[in-house]
Amino acid sequence: MKSYHQKKTKKRTYFLAFFFILWMGVLVLRLVQLQVIDHVKLNAEAIQQNRNIKKIEPKRGSIFDRNMTILARSVPRYSVFFHPLENESHSEQWSRTKKIGQTLRLPSSKLSTIRAQINKDAKFIWLARKIEEQKATQVLNMNTNGVYLMEENKRFYPQGKRASHVLGRVNIDEIGVSGIEYKYNTILQGVEGEGLILRDAKRRRYSFETLKPPVNGKDLVLTLDETIQYVAEKELKKAVLESQAEWGVVIISDPSTGDILAMTNYPTYDLNHLPDPPTKLDRNKAVHHTYDPGSTFKIVTLSAALENRSVSFEETFDCTPGYVVYAGNTFWDHERLGILDFPEVFIHSSNVGTIFIGQRVGEENLFRAIKKFGFGQRTGIDLPAEEKGLLNPLERWTKISVASHSIGYEISVTPIQMLQSLNIIANQGVIVPPRTVKKINDTDAEMESVSPMAYKRAISDETSANVRDILLGVVASGTGVTARIPGYTIYGKTGTAQKYDRDEKQYLTTAHIASFAGVVENEGPLFSMIVVIDDPKGDYYGSQVAAPVFREIAKKILRYLCVPPVKKSFDTLIASKAGRHTGE
Amino acid sequence: MVRKKFSKKEIFIGISCTLFALLILSLYVWHQTESVNLGYDSAELEYRVLQLEKEVEELETVKSSLLTLDRVEDIARDKLKLSEPEEEQIVYKDIEKRH
Repeated sequence: MKSYHQKKTKKRTYFLAFFFILWMGVLVLRLVQLQVIDHVKLNAEAIQQNRNIKKIEPKRGSIFDRNMTILARSVPRYSVFFHPLENESHSEQWSRTKKIGQTLRLPSSKLSTIRAQINKDAKFIWLARKIEEQKATQVLNMNTNGVYLMEENKRFYPQGKRASHVLGRVNIDEIGVSGIEYKYNTILQGVEGEGLILRDAKRRRYSFETLKPPVNGKDLVLTLDETIQYVAEKELKKAVLESQAEWGVVIISDPSTGDILAMTNYPTYDLNHLPDPPTKLDRNKAVHHTYDPGSTFKIVTLSAALENRSVSFEETFDCTPGYVVYAGNTFWDHERLGILDFPEVFIHSSNVGTIFIGQRVGEENLFRAIKKFGFGQRTGIDLPAEEKGLLNPLERWTKISVASHSIGYEISVTPIQMLQSLNIIANQGVIVPPRTVKKINDTDAEMESVSPMAYKRAISDETSANVRDILLGVVASGTGVTARIPGYTIYGKTGTAQKYDRDEKQYLTTAHIASFAGVVENEGPLFSMIVVIDDPKGDYYGSQVAAPVFREIAKKILRYLCVPPVKKSFDTLIASKAGRHTGE
Repeated sequence: MVRKKFSKKEIFIGISCTLFALLILSLYVWHQTESVNLGYDSAELEYRVLQLEKEVEELETVKSSLLTLDRVEDIARDKLKLSEPEEEQIVYKDIEKRH
């Protein structure tokens, strides 16, 4: 028989067991609710609270000049955005964002845009993009609800205005919109990655796992030389301002590789402080602008005459009247030049003599030569939106076309095409396409060289040598004498062309384009350069406006490259040439 | 009520097992805590390294902007009163070595 105590203990045990089972049952039900019924919803909430999938921005590649001077680099900056709280009135949202706006000194137009976005119930509003760290700290210290900071990159150009037209620019989202930044955008921008951030209950980050690593953009090493670019920019600015011209372009290249050492436009702009709207000055006239080249184009006529053996060196041309009537049109020389032999026609840049020679070459041969020099086609330079110029097909040539083309009219070219034609002479008749990017630097691999495109021959070695000799005379004693630097071997051609009015469909007698294209040699071509000045006031001849700019830039580059003058050989050459022409 | 009496040996084994279990549990908790703390430290250091790398790059960029040729020329001309040399003043030395 069970005792009283035993009965009581049993009763208590059952009672306790009942509550324990009940408690367990409640726990199990709660677990079922959490793990089964609300599983999806709660799982999502937990992931949101404890884990963040963060996009890892790749670093945009930097751009360097050929000596590894930084031309463009992305630097970290902060952006401020507003995310309104639940059930918050528009006025509350506005009062908070306004405070931030005042701290950041946002313009009233930006504040109006923010207010409009709040009124439209926007859930994400940019308050300021890419601000300095100091301002970001100010915002952080204000500790305003719904206002957050995000780290982004901002493109910075340490050299400011340097090579702005070649480098181009990026938009607010770091996507290239012009120049190298646009052309090589896919290489520069990289691919974004993904990371998993684990946080504890206090939202502290305790682990970061890279799910997909970002691929940083590759660096570019350009063919540009910062010092040569600086010299070119400085001298061009001076020339454009002094001659009150509309604009000017200078391109300097290494003929043997096609490397562009400098390419500049004036007016220009600072890439860190873009003008509004930026597109106004954005066009790189060196590759976008087409113009009638005038006498610099006589290089092609001269080459065609020599290549086709249409004229002999000893032949003379009567340029005494100073003009020639051709198919009812009168073409003038800049002065009466008398009787000139074949080289002298080009040395003194006689339009009359060149037209005679052009006639002898003939339409078909001249057209073929123009095509072989690459006119009417893009040079293939690695810059966006290159113009191909205008070369009418032979079927559309009129009676005066052969005369016009001989002296560089009725055809439109870009400055880079004109420089390439001179590079053909410097390269013994071979076309070496121009390029602005020398290497693509992959941090995970060795530098990858950008190979120049395949070379093509335009004219024979012999023709190019003869053209070179005649062009030496242009600088030694002809129209290009203002480009001469004692002690150095320089050849080139001046050009003065009347501007074509597209509305009036006629050439203007009051507006000109002055140009000079030349090569400096030092045991082979050292560098070539073209200077184009649009609509200079006062003196407007290429020999007066463009050739002196060539000389000043070339002098400084020679000094920079440590090329000493060779006084004896060059002065002797000039003396002997002058003696030959004067009969001494 | 009759209570079962445990021998001293049984009590000793029971206490030892409990202590051992507590020790294992403590070790596990300590290991977890240390792992999390190391995670904090490692994340902080990684972040610091990243920040320093960025700072180095930014300083390089600032250095580059301070060495722009316009600025150097302005300082040379205005502050140091230097001027460009005449052609006769230039002496070319060791040209072959330079090339």
